[in-house]
Amino acid sequence: MTHPRFLRSVRNAAAVLSLSVLVLTGCSANPPSTSADGPERTLLTIPREDMGTFVQNFNPFSPTVAPMTQQAIYESMLIYNPADGTTTPWLATEWEVAEDGKSIVFTLRDGVTWSDGEPFVGEDVVNTFDLQREILGGYDYLDTVTADGNTVTFTFTTPFSPALFEVGQQIIVPEHVWSAIEDPSRETNAVPVGTGPYTEVAQFQAQSFVLEKNPNYWQPEKQQIEGIRMLAFAGNDGANLAAVNGDVDWAPQFMPNIEETFISKDPENRDYWFPPTGAMINWQLNTAKAPFDDVDVRKALSMAVNREQVTSIGMTGYTEPADCTGLSGAYENWKSDEVLADCDWTEYNVDAANALLDEAGYAKGADGMRTMEDGSPFAFDISVGSASSDWLSVANVISQNLADVGITATVDAPDWATVVSGYELGEFDTGIVWSNAAPTPYQYFRGMMGTSTVEAVGEKTFENYHRYGSEEAEQLLTDFAASSDEAEQGEIVNQLQEVYSENAPAVPLFPGPEWGAYTDVNFEGWPTEENPYATLSVRAPTTVLLLTSLKPASAE
Amino acid sequence: MRFILRRLGFYFIAFWACITLNFMLPRFMPGDPVSRMFARSQDRMQPEQIDQLRRLFGVDDRPIWEQYINYIGDVLTGQMGVSISRFPTPVTEVIASQIGWTILLGGVSLIIAAVVGNLLGILAAWRRGGLVDSGLPPLLIFIGSFPYFWLAMAALYLFGVVLGWFPLRHAFTSGLEPGFTGEYLLDVAHHLVLPALTIVLVSIGGWMLGMRNTMIATNAEDYIIMAEAKGLKPGRIMFRYAARNAMLPAVTSFGMSLGFVVGGALLTEVVFAYPGVGYQLLAAVQGLDYPLMQGLFLTITAAVLIANFLVDILYVRLDPRVRTS
Repeated sequence: MTHPRFLRSVRNAAAVLSLSVLVLTGCSANPPSTSADGPERTLLTIPREDMGTFVQNFNPFSPTVAPMTQQAIYESMLIYNPADGTTTPWLATEWEVAEDGKSIVFTLRDGVTWSDGEPFVGEDVVNTFDLQREILGGYDYLDTVTADGNTVTFTFTTPFSPALFEVGQQIIVPEHVWSAIEDPSRETNAVPVGTGPYTEVAQFQAQSFVLEKNPNYWQPEKQQIEGIRMLAFAGNDGANLAAVNGDVDWAPQFMPNIEETFISKDPENRDYWFPPTGAMINWQLNTAKAPFDDVDVRKALSMAVNREQVTSIGMTGYTEPADCTGLSGAYENWKSDEVLADCDWTEYNVDAANALLDEAGYAKGADGMRTMEDGSPFAFDISVGSASSDWLSVANVISQNLADVGITATVDAPDWATVVSGYELGEFDTGIVWSNAAPTPYQYFRGMMGTSTVEAVGEKTFENYHRYGSEEAEQLLTDFAASSDEAEQGEIVNQLQEVYSENAPAVPLFPGPEWGAYTDVNFEGWPTEENPYATLSVRAPTTVLLLTSLKPASAE
Repeated sequence: MRFILRRLGFYFIAFWACITLNFMLPRFMPGDPVSRMFARSQDRMQPEQIDQLRRLFGVDDRPIWEQYINYIGDVLTGQMGVSISRFPTPVTEVIASQIGWTILLGGVSLIIAAVVGNLLGILAAWRRGGLVDSGLPPLLIFIGSFPYFWLAMAALYLFGVVLGWFPLRHAFTSGLEPGFTGEYLLDVAHHLVLPALTIVLVSIGGWMLGMRNTMIATNAEDYIIMAEAKGLKPGRIMFRYAARNAMLPAVTSFGMSLGFVVGGALLTEVVFAYPGVGYQLLAAVQGLDYPLMQGLFLTITAAVLIANFLVDILYVRLDPRVRTS
């Protein structure tokens, strides 16, 4: 009896997603009902869409940590905001990068205390980096970390300027608490001690918990909300229903057709903002394989893609087409005007694509389909994980576009794990892939065309799946890492964009949007396009800026 | 006694086969937990951290037979290890924290569906051609053939969103202190109505139809005519003579369903955001969380086998033919 039901449920799980749209559009006919907590909500209520239940794990080094740990409980020395490109000093008031790029000195803020009343000191920072490297790794370039009074000095084995943001945005944990913990990697840290605005865990339950004010916060005037309540949802649908119904204040999850489903129910108070500051989403071509090793083929394929269609159909208009710098909206200030002025290979142009392919020797046969040099058909797969319905339709749009230039591209959509294992080993034709995102474009270009990230086919790699390396780019990346002068860095990034635009290591599609919607019925002071002091993400370093800016709606 | 021993032997072999399958199946899936976590986090994780995470989670690189021997040992000693998708929480704790809700939801709806469904089946067969017999089965089968999640969403929309009679999510109102207070129990019951209702609606038709059909067969037996001839009250004949003999298949299905209750009702849990192991199992499969998957499969296996064993024993009591054969 129950047995077939179980099988059926697994099969139908995917259908739930599409059906939710139906239910949600149905909802829009009704006025929003008052929330379950009553009309006067004092706790900022946020849904978490991918955790059916919570586990009381506030260990910031754990990859499966409870939400808001790294945003509300612990803080970092500085905060970089990709929406406007500014850096806000946080636990550090200032920093000094050495001339040779091999060290940085941070000056810590005076008067910061942990939520248990102990003062925040340099030793905390030193200990945090020991723990981070021991448990999660990374920071391979870091040589020593030393504290002296209220300054902390980081030295590097090689000049590495992107370190400022990596080190600066590392969240800091208290040494006096963590030094007593025997196995920090397995610690659940049920009662966390942090410097953040909301550190006191209350009412921890399987499907909700509350974070209350840190009694010793260093900016008490900014703790204007009483606390944060997190709600657990096993999927977007439940979280979307809660948002549509007005039961939550903030909706950071993906919502289909947001104007209809969410905004239209209370246009006065509800709004959304999807800045294109996420990672660039690329159509990656396996450059270790023919014909994708030919730059003309890559550019021709890129011109055959109608990015307007990709973003409007595939991404429901939530983002914008990419340009030939390959940089997402997070790097707006880095974009080179010269490269932008000369963007031909990212513009939709079927004639040019056809001409380029003809020229490269992939002539059309009698049936109008192109063939390879050996006479076999010009056909390949586009791999994408079946769970990402939006990217799946992106792949389908590309496949249709390519039919117009005589190329057969089959969309291959198994489970993400299968897709990614193909990417990692280089055993794929093409795929829709994310890219590295960091405050500077260094990591992005390194993963896109640095020779140091290229592995042979069959060797596992976790970036540069498309296996493209350029000596010129690698040299520029090394120069960038060695430079601490902003003007010089800008010049190097301009050159990197030239190399990128010339070689088309991947086909950039669109910058990933940073979802975020909210209602200001209970709280106000949300970031907007006009006032982009943070993004609407609940998992970004900028989230704490939002938490310290929101205030109850009644407090005019 | 010999019967029970023989059954025990059979269950032992079934158990071994099940736990071996539980071990093999997840390992046929491509990738490993860390790649999956990386794929899901996309740009949020650094590539440099992957090896470290493998070490942290203790992803096994040993030969498969060595892992198997180890696994059998762990199963027998009740050690299920640490969940990867819920790291560093032990698997037993993850399961223990949610299985209560699963059993509550699954158990309540199973009991209601079985009891009401069987009673309706008895009535329908007893009054053949009556209103219950001609009207209900088509209606219930009609409802039962709806996609499960559709019914759940329709109920959620109608009774939760439009009418506002029932809460939209979770097992109890967030912030309410769990405890044996009237307020809390009422709140839990209030939250249970919609999810349980949809499961009952979907499964009740099967119970009713099954009971009705066997009942019709028993109604034609000579001993029923005999009982009628003796002038016994119709109610007594219906329940003590006909229904009692028609009950055996229903007991079997009930035992089977009882075992599967611990597997959770995935879609109900997802639609109503109800806590339970169904979603946990889906998440474990998607995240290739071997320890949690094994733990959940083991729990389900054990529950199904135990339920079956209980039914077997019950059969000895209910059906004399089993005893003699």
